[in-house]
Amino acid sequence: MRRMSLWQKIITAAVLIIALILFMFPVVWMFLTSFKTEAEYFSYPPVFIPRDFSPRNYLNAMMLPPDGRGGLQGLRDSLIVALSTTVVSMLTGSLAAYSLSRFRTGGENLSFWILSTRMFPPVAAALPLFLIFKELKLLDTHWALIIANTVFNLPFVIWMLKGFFDDLSPEMEEAALIDGCTHWGVFVRVALPLITPGLVATALFCFIFAWNEFMFALLLTRRSVRTLTVIVPSLVGGHEILWGEIAAIGTIAIIPGIVLSVLFQRFLVRGLTMGAVKG
Amino acid sequence: MKRFSRRLESSLMRTLRRRRTAYLFAAPAIITLLAITIFPLLYEVRLVFMSWELTTTTTPEFVGLQNLIKVLFQDNRFWSSMRVTAVLIVLGVSIQLGIGTGLALLLNRMGRWRTPLVSLFLIPVMIAPVVAGFQFRMIYHDQFGPLNYIIEIITGGRWRGFAWIADPNVALFAILMTDVWQWTPFLMLIVLAGLQSIPLELHEAAEVDGASAWQSFWRITLPLLLPVIIIGILIRAMDAFKLFDIVYLVTGGGPGNVTETISFYTYLQGFKFFSLGYTAAMAFIQLIIITLIARFFLSFQKRQRGET
Repeated sequence: MRRMSLWQKIITAAVLIIALILFMFPVVWMFLTSFKTEAEYFSYPPVFIPRDFSPRNYLNAMMLPPDGRGGLQGLRDSLIVALSTTVVSMLTGSLAAYSLSRFRTGGENLSFWILSTRMFPPVAAALPLFLIFKELKLLDTHWALIIANTVFNLPFVIWMLKGFFDDLSPEMEEAALIDGCTHWGVFVRVALPLITPGLVATALFCFIFAWNEFMFALLLTRRSVRTLTVIVPSLVGGHEILWGEIAAIGTIAIIPGIVLSVLFQRFLVRGLTMGAVKG
Repeated sequence: MKRFSRRLESSLMRTLRRRRTAYLFAAPAIITLLAITIFPLLYEVRLVFMSWELTTTTTPEFVGLQNLIKVLFQDNRFWSSMRVTAVLIVLGVSIQLGIGTGLALLLNRMGRWRTPLVSLFLIPVMIAPVVAGFQFRMIYHDQFGPLNYIIEIITGGRWRGFAWIADPNVALFAILMTDVWQWTPFLMLIVLAGLQSIPLELHEAAEVDGASAWQSFWRITLPLLLPVIIIGILIRAMDAFKLFDIVYLVTGGGPGNVTETISFYTYLQGFKFFSLGYTAAMAFIQLIIITLIARFFLSFQKRQRGET
């Protein structure tokens, strides 16, 4: 690599800092707004730093109507849906990924069919799912969202984990097989432990996709299930916009994403490209 | 002979057992995936040929190709939403690629600061699009938003900015900026991954041969980055084609329908106007388009794998 002169270094750093400020600004603004009083966020010129950092907006947001639970209900429903989707996708997906990787089950066609189901436009899936769930009396239940999210997360898990299994050298597993281990035993005791970091990263991705999902939550549930992502716009649409409370909910909603991006950076490229690019 | 046949038998058994294990392992996922994709798909295809207006009639009625013909040849709003979507894909992805590549080139020169910087840059990608939309809705607020305030300060009070969301001339730009904000870091990340996979020796050799930095970028870096960039563009194009959340949050498709994307229009037909057959026809068209892009993506990926 070419040596940079001092000036080049300064310019590089300056451009990156400016870019970072621009990219961080919306997040920081929401974070600051979550501590502002109504007088502070409805003022001109805008107040940048709130006077105090009291958690009142967070407490209010948790108690919002309907049923006086608003944010709390959202938190509960988002957690239930995201966790269940992750568990279902990881349990069935890891087995399928191992099978595709080790035994080349179904050949390339099966693998690519699985990948292509993820590319389905959600809006095209929403209407038939709505009508089917209506028949099955599943509308407005956690099941509706768990099933709909699995359509998109299961292919993701299979494809990601297949990539991790492909990267393992098969010698250890072969040795275990010769020692009399069953395929199941090899899978649980040899293969899975070897890809633990990849498993954790994949599960976290899966969780975040389900956690961030909006369209199905909007269309397939109404009153008894309300995830955080549907609570945010329902409050924006109201008569008086409760910026502070929404900002508090928004701030809570972005925590899992930040955790993933900070702790699992080395898996981000793979996760975001479905393994098409290996970081 | 006997021994041989016994050995053959056992090897056959082993192959069979292997087969069975392979399918048993794959079965739960495949069955789940089939069940949750095939039924909706069949249901949808059936609906394409039905007229089913939930507001007036209760039973679907067979109308043949009428829905598809109406969408393709008589619905200006459909084509307007396609145009909006196309603008967002083409402009959005180009801007994201341009800025993303620039940032990646700069970050590639950073030593130990690179990792923490990348983590920070990636936060927008991991945020729910709904929350991103909400953030920009605050920023765009014409009275109390920080964007107009900053514009006013920069212009020394001569100009107080736009009504970003209500002004039909800039509303689409407001959506575009939100999308660019959220997805530029994604392209930055994958270009950076591509850059780091290029062996250093190549650049050193070029330098020894007297190539300028500019030449070395155009002749070595860019050609080697191309596969990664194409994958990035295709992934982004597929995502941008489905753009819904940000539109719902920031403008609601308005003013008028200048920011109405194809996903948003489909949602309106299905869940506001309740024209179920018509919605299915639109969804079907989108399915074909996305399948075409996906095919391209998959065949490209297959070729990449074949080469390595």
